[in-house]
Amino acid sequence: MWDDNLREQVIQLEAEAEKRQLEDFLAKQDLALDKDVEYAIALFDGVKIAAVGCFGGKVLKCIAVEGEYQNKGLSAGIVTALINEEYRRARTHLFIYTKPQNKLIFSELGFYTIAEIPNKVILMENKSDGIIKYLAEIVGEKITTGNTAAVVVNCDPFTLGHKYLIEYAAAKTKKLHIFVVWEDRSSFPSEIRYKLVREGVQHLPNVEVHKGKDYIISNATFPSYFIKKFQDQVETHARLDLEVFSQYIVPALGIRKRFVGEEPYCKITATYNRIMQEILPAHGVKVEVVPRLTYDRQAISASRVRELIRIGEMDKVRELVPKTTYQFLISAEAEVTINQIRLTSQRH
Amino acid sequence: MSRLRRTMLYVPGNNPGMIRDVHIYGADAIMLDLEDSVSLNEKDAARMLVYNSLKTFDYGKTEVVVRVNGLNTPFGRDDLEAIVRAKPDTIRLPKTETPEDVKEADELISQIEQKIGMKHGTVKMMAAIESALGVINAYQIGIASKRLTGIAIGAEDFVTDLKTTRSLDGIELLTARSQILFAARAAGIDALDTVFSDINDEAGFTNEVKLIKQLGFDGKSIINPRQIEIVHRIFTPTEAEVKKSTRIIEAIKEAESKGSGVISLNGKMIDKPIVERARRVLQLADAAKIFVK
Amino acid sequence: MKIHDVGMAGTLESSDITIHIEDNEGKGIEIGLKSTVENQFGNQIRKVIYETLQELEVKDALVCATDKGALDCTIRSRVMTAVNRACQSNTYPWEAK
Repeated sequence: MWDDNLREQVIQLEAEAEKRQLEDFLAKQDLALDKDVEYAIALFDGVKIAAVGCFGGKVLKCIAVEGEYQNKGLSAGIVTALINEEYRRARTHLFIYTKPQNKLIFSELGFYTIAEIPNKVILMENKSDGIIKYLAEIVGEKITTGNTAAVVVNCDPFTLGHKYLIEYAAAKTKKLHIFVVWEDRSSFPSEIRYKLVREGVQHLPNVEVHKGKDYIISNATFPSYFIKKFQDQVETHARLDLEVFSQYIVPALGIRKRFVGEEPYCKITATYNRIMQEILPAHGVKVEVVPRLTYDRQAISASRVRELIRIGEMDKVRELVPKTTYQFLISAEAEVTINQIRLTSQRH
Repeated sequence: MSRLRRTMLYVPGNNPGMIRDVHIYGADAIMLDLEDSVSLNEKDAARMLVYNSLKTFDYGKTEVVVRVNGLNTPFGRDDLEAIVRAKPDTIRLPKTETPEDVKEADELISQIEQKIGMKHGTVKMMAAIESALGVINAYQIGIASKRLTGIAIGAEDFVTDLKTTRSLDGIELLTARSQILFAARAAGIDALDTVFSDINDEAGFTNEVKLIKQLGFDGKSIINPRQIEIVHRIFTPTEAEVKKSTRIIEAIKEAESKGSGVISLNGKMIDKPIVERARRVLQLADAAKIFVK
Repeated sequence: MKIHDVGMAGTLESSDITIHIEDNEGKGIEIGLKSTVENQFGNQIRKVIYETLQELEVKDALVCATDKGALDCTIRSRVMTAVNRACQSNTYPWEAK
């Protein structure tokens, strides 16, 4: 203790030099600095970094200890400091995605395993009943038996393509559960996307829409700072998300089938779908890939809709989305989001 | 005669493992820190820990000092409210720049003492000077309160204020050290030196301790128990000094027994400063018996 | 004092204890403890936690503690800090009465 002399210090991410020092340190540990990191704390030995830890939103990430300082319990100190700061910001339900070998440290700090992909990643949360409570929410009062299915959608925004997929699936099952991926990297905020889905399917009596919240893992927010190769990141994310889905959601709702739209454009989604078809059948869940609804011989996609919004072709947008979505898009409430879309030009 | 403060061992206030052991290392004083060694998010935890520790542990003869946060921070007031109630020997004020800083703290401590029925003046104070302005005001700071028993220099923040860096020979601190020493002597209180951070540089540390002893300092803040022995050794009087001081004290006794008003030794008159120094030498020698045979 | 939120205090360093406290929905005080000295001191640790909560007049709390050899005064301190953080207040023992 007396010989430690390590100094805890918050890193100013806006200061170029400090951020660079952090990135360099992480790079040496084979880690990257995730883009959404909003807080970083380090233990300094003089001017040298001995250990760091960060968080973005409620996810702790980018935690590393330099070789010579390992096995001294430094990560426990870092993680405790991160948790304290999160609590101070009134975020008390916290998550960590990390390499499985770190499981013990986090469980000592009050984290519980949600799911693990051996040698790749472990997802933990700091509540013993976090996912249990989520399942209770989505199961609601009645449990359906028989032909139950699920669809996982982003819907940024809800289009006729989504409507088609859902109507197709609803017609073929007794009960259909729709999960809206919950993250705000999309152009439309999660609450809006959820609302548009609900409005868009209210004519279907056997359909229930759920918020994905923290347990349907979006690729956009999957922290991949500890996985070097991009393809490895994509696959690991897919496996983890499907692990959570099959371990918890499938048995809770009695899901027998999952419907997914065919993915002609996005490689990431295509990879996910491929892995899904590999994994789910082993858990008793059939996978059906549904061809996309086309308009003008083009598959209707949300990104096309956003592009049309961006260039202001609202008449063309109208042809691709249901009335409920269109009504929203031309309303005052949508102004802020539409302006933002017009200012950017990303594909996803 | 004031107690010895050759060494003041510095302990981060949020570390229970260090707090529980700190007095066994034999430092003259221990300083439990709520200020720079405690992160902002942990100020409340450290305060509570130091409060409860002080109420529990018996530190024996070791002087217990607590460094609180400045009154110009959101924490200083709460620190005093809690810590005074735990009755440390001394409260150390950081970054003291003006006598008003001292008076403000003195007033607050007095209020708390009164609230809890403690005799006024029980808790003492020490002021750490860490800026150019503080050095300039050092004497005024030193006489600003009856509670104040010492002033110290805090070099890290000080050299930043001067827009320079610390060096091994410490030339940049020379004037500050001297000024603080003058102020302390003129005010009749202790002068304490700053920490030496490189715990592996024994030679550098030893040189610094010799320097500050030569300048006249009463002691030094330290951050590692290994530094204690070095300081105590350097502050141990030589045999010659001990002999001379013993003779001076004998001369006093003789003069008293004869009812004489004037004390002399070897034909020279011995006045008050010499007597005080002799007493101090013997006090140091006495303490050093633990280390020196 | 009534606990609104979640509060945590302490570290995993030797001689310390982490105290994690949240509301227990009217079920009174429940203490979960992880300690390397469970056999010799488990009950003592729980007792100190319980008594400290009583002193602060906390009737309802779910406490998760991981002990690393903390003395009673450290346990008391961490519980007090965790409760204050969970209630967003700064109550001191001499004020709680």
